[in-house]
Amino acid sequence: MSAEYTCLVVEDSPMMRQLLVFALSRVKNLRVVEADDGVDGLRKLAGQKFDLILTDINMPIMDGLKLVKRVRSDAMHKDTPIIIITTEGSTEDRQRALQLGANAYITKPIQAPQVIAQVKALLKIDG
Amino acid sequence: MPEKHAKIAKQKPAKKPTLRNKLVAAPAPKAPPERRKTPPPPAPKEMQWQRANFVDTFFKKGAEFTGELVQENDRLRKHNRDLETDNLALRTQLASDEAIRDLLKRIDHLEREKGALLSHITEAEAVSTRFTSRYSEMEEELSTLANLYVASYQLHSTLDLRRVVKHLQELLQQLVGARTHAIYMSDATAKDLVLVASEGIDPSKMARLPIQRDELSAPMIERAFLTGIEMIKSGPLAKAGKDNPAAVVPMRFDDRIVGVIVVYSVFEQKPAFLPVDLELFKMLSAHAACALTGAFLFAAANGVLPRPSDLLAATNGT
Repeated sequence: MSAEYTCLVVEDSPMMRQLLVFALSRVKNLRVVEADDGVDGLRKLAGQKFDLILTDINMPIMDGLKLVKRVRSDAMHKDTPIIIITTEGSTEDRQRALQLGANAYITKPIQAPQVIAQVKALLKIDG
Repeated sequence: MPEKHAKIAKQKPAKKPTLRNKLVAAPAPKAPPERRKTPPPPAPKEMQWQRANFVDTFFKKGAEFTGELVQENDRLRKHNRDLETDNLALRTQLASDEAIRDLLKRIDHLEREKGALLSHITEAEAVSTRFTSRYSEMEEELSTLANLYVASYQLHSTLDLRRVVKHLQELLQQLVGARTHAIYMSDATAKDLVLVASEGIDPSKMARLPIQRDELSAPMIERAFLTGIEMIKSGPLAKAGKDNPAAVVPMRFDDRIVGVIVVYSVFEQKPAFLPVDLELFKMLSAHAACALTGAFLFAAANGVLPRPSDLLAATNGT
């Protein structure tokens, strides 16, 4: 079965990344590519077109805000939907990310159904 | 015909032919041939007059009666026509009533069909609701299992002590939603609980917790360590804090309690612990101590893995 959608997950925590990949594996026809941080994410974005980007805000080397800014300034990905993952106290970061062009946010601790619902909504997948 | 009769007929000419006139004008019935042989003697004039009068009255009455008969006939014909009209109307009415009865039967039948369909729909909706509910339960179970798998996988994916502690803290923050937490291990004498990692608290103030021997009067953290019973708040967690932790989970391996995990407070979006959190606490209670101790022993051995022969000897008890 060939994947209809491709999603990039940018998260430095292996545990969170694994959890996100688990959750996204339940969305049909969705292939997930993992990245450890913002720089790794940009490297993978340069290589191919993605239908969705899911990124944490707090990451070493390059954080999620910089990544969102870079993605929106890139012609190939300027329209790619972006979901940011934030913690409770980072309201400013969340607002900043939305201003920079992120489409939605998920607050930690994440719940798989919440992630799936957001992803399906942005990819316009029914059911 | 006798002359007298003819005269009377001439004196009173009928304007229109009546039965009487016809009878008067009609030839007298012929007498039987044998009676002609002996003609009757002529009647006296008086008798003839009376007979003429009688005949006249007779014809008059006959005409009246006939007229009445004709009128009665007309009336009866009209009545018949009326009856036929009524009959037709009644037949039409009857046909209409039958059509209505048929329609009512049809409506009744359709109502029953509608009832059956509604009942079927209700059943289908109930089944659908059950499936939806079951699906939701399965989603939740799947999510719980995924969380447990990931937590367990990450906890045992390394023997590096710092990484084990980091994973443990991440797990508490990212999966449980712990804002402030602490991990205590008991020292060799088991008289104190020693803080090995924390988040959101001042480590210098809570570096050691003396263990009271009276488990009933001991504070929550020490009591959990002494009894081995996890203490997890079942209600709202908004008021949880340093003096009133949201959860205290003893860490054990085999039957030994070697430390506790304390969640002092949780993030605002976590109003109460969920079933998945309770499962995570159970998993942590059983696995965290093993992961920490294993990593500690590995660090103590300077990261040198035991030789297979040593493992075999240890397994066989030789």
